[in-house]
Amino acid sequence: MEAIWDGLVEAFRLIGTGDGELFSIAGRSLLVSGSATALAMLVGVPLGYLLGRARFPARTLILAAVGTGMGMPPVVAGLVIWLLLVRSGPFGGFELIYTKQAMIIAQFLIATPLVIAFTAASIQALPARLPDLLAVLGAGKLRTLWLLAREARLGLLAAVMAGFGAVVSEVGASMAVGGNLVGDTRVLTTAIVTETSRADTERAIAYGLVLLAMAFAIVAVLTVVQQRSPR
Amino acid sequence: MEARFDRVQFAYGDQPVVDVPELRFAAGRVTALLGPNGSGKSTLLRLLAGLERPRAGRVLLGEEPATAARASVAYAFQEAVFLSGTLRANLDLALRLRGLPPPERRARLAEAATACGVAHLLDRPANRLSGGEAQRANLARTLSLRAPLTLLDEPLAGFDERGRAQMLEELPALLRRFAGTTVLVTHDRDEALRLAEDLVLLREGRVRAAGPRREVFGSPPDPETAAFLGYTLIPTDAGLAGVAPGGLRPGPGEFMLTLHVEEIVDLVTSVEVVGRAHGERIAVAFPPDFPLPAPREQVTVSAPTEMVVSFTEPAPKRLTAPPARP
Repeated sequence: MEAIWDGLVEAFRLIGTGDGELFSIAGRSLLVSGSATALAMLVGVPLGYLLGRARFPARTLILAAVGTGMGMPPVVAGLVIWLLLVRSGPFGGFELIYTKQAMIIAQFLIATPLVIAFTAASIQALPARLPDLLAVLGAGKLRTLWLLAREARLGLLAAVMAGFGAVVSEVGASMAVGGNLVGDTRVLTTAIVTETSRADTERAIAYGLVLLAMAFAIVAVLTVVQQRSPR
Repeated sequence: MEARFDRVQFAYGDQPVVDVPELRFAAGRVTALLGPNGSGKSTLLRLLAGLERPRAGRVLLGEEPATAARASVAYAFQEAVFLSGTLRANLDLALRLRGLPPPERRARLAEAATACGVAHLLDRPANRLSGGEAQRANLARTLSLRAPLTLLDEPLAGFDERGRAQMLEELPALLRRFAGTTVLVTHDRDEALRLAEDLVLLREGRVRAAGPRREVFGSPPDPETAAFLGYTLIPTDAGLAGVAPGGLRPGPGEFMLTLHVEEIVDLVTSVEVVGRAHGERIAVAFPPDFPLPAPREQVTVSAPTEMVVSFTEPAPKRLTAPPARP
């Protein structure tokens, strides 16, 4: 119990004094997971919209595949990307393995199914007549997409939260394709694993607290946006 | 604005839905598309709105294809659909999408909302309006556009009985004030006769009759259409006859039948005597002061010939002039 208490005190000291290593790792986590989530939104929202609106033969099969992807263990995503990017792999020539870019790609693979599924569900939940209404009122294609996105904002922001939440907290993929290199690819989750194995509980707790605070701050901002009713 | 169908065919997948060689909606008139469920009424409306493209032929609004003339159309769907936000924001969006400047938007919004009886609901969330309120709001949004062609899909659906009666009374004046050419869809004969000047009768995607309502109602082209319009079909020695709704009365007259009474149905405000004539089960309304027969008795009932249509000819033949009042 005393160890935990000492750990918490030290953790707050590290945070309070602006420990350089702590904040550089936190910044890297934010950069990698934020980029992966942004890319997942870029690809996942249009795909989710199509799956939510269009009717084509393989649609149900694709939705089932996306659903399966939502439950993919991060370490498996990491393994797939590792096999593709490792020097002897098909994309080894790009020399991306053990870089932040490799971590972003792996986290993108984890977040995208979540974004697709949340988007498809939120688009399907809209009244079926809404696109027709906007068409007869004279809204162009882009205006229609914007207005539909605004209507589906609860689901779309839930997609961002789910995607970001999943990747900022994963450790398996980051470890596999990033390598946990000090000052380069070490992020909060891999750092927690390292410090715990070194029995440096103060740092592990500090990293854990920062990770939680970061996730909370981002989700809180998104929730405020989500719950604000449009005029 | 005149709207017309020129050799239009439309299908959902391989399933043909509409086949209309020629149909005109005269400028400035109110036309009701009347037909049973699945007859293609709403599809015709969607084609007019440019929401569907015909597989063959042309749907023209004035001289323009409907798909390129959406700015000329205002369309109220059967289910009132709104975006999140207040009713005011919803009505304003519709006018904004038509490119109207703010002062005109404000004026039109207030005018249509007041006329449709929803001015007091403007600051309420549109998606939380009750069924009748939402339908009135839906109408206000459509009418505020003052479009050359106004399309209304079952405008009285969603109202309770009292609201429906009230709307039925208000709607003709609202259409005169805000709408140009109007096409409305209904499956209710009385509604069509109350609201429209012209009728288009549809069955299985084909136009069975079209024209001024008195003509169409007075000369149904075939027994199925007559039955849909509420005619009582009676096989007689001279062939199949159709009696217009309300045409049969107790007592002798020009077109006479012997009714074998089976039951008396007391509808509180009136009494219906139900029985068989020429093997067909028919109901005849008896006036309150008329002596009621007992079951298994035989009574004479009749209809004036102007309310009887004969289907024995290759084309239906009205025995005399159309009825004065449908």
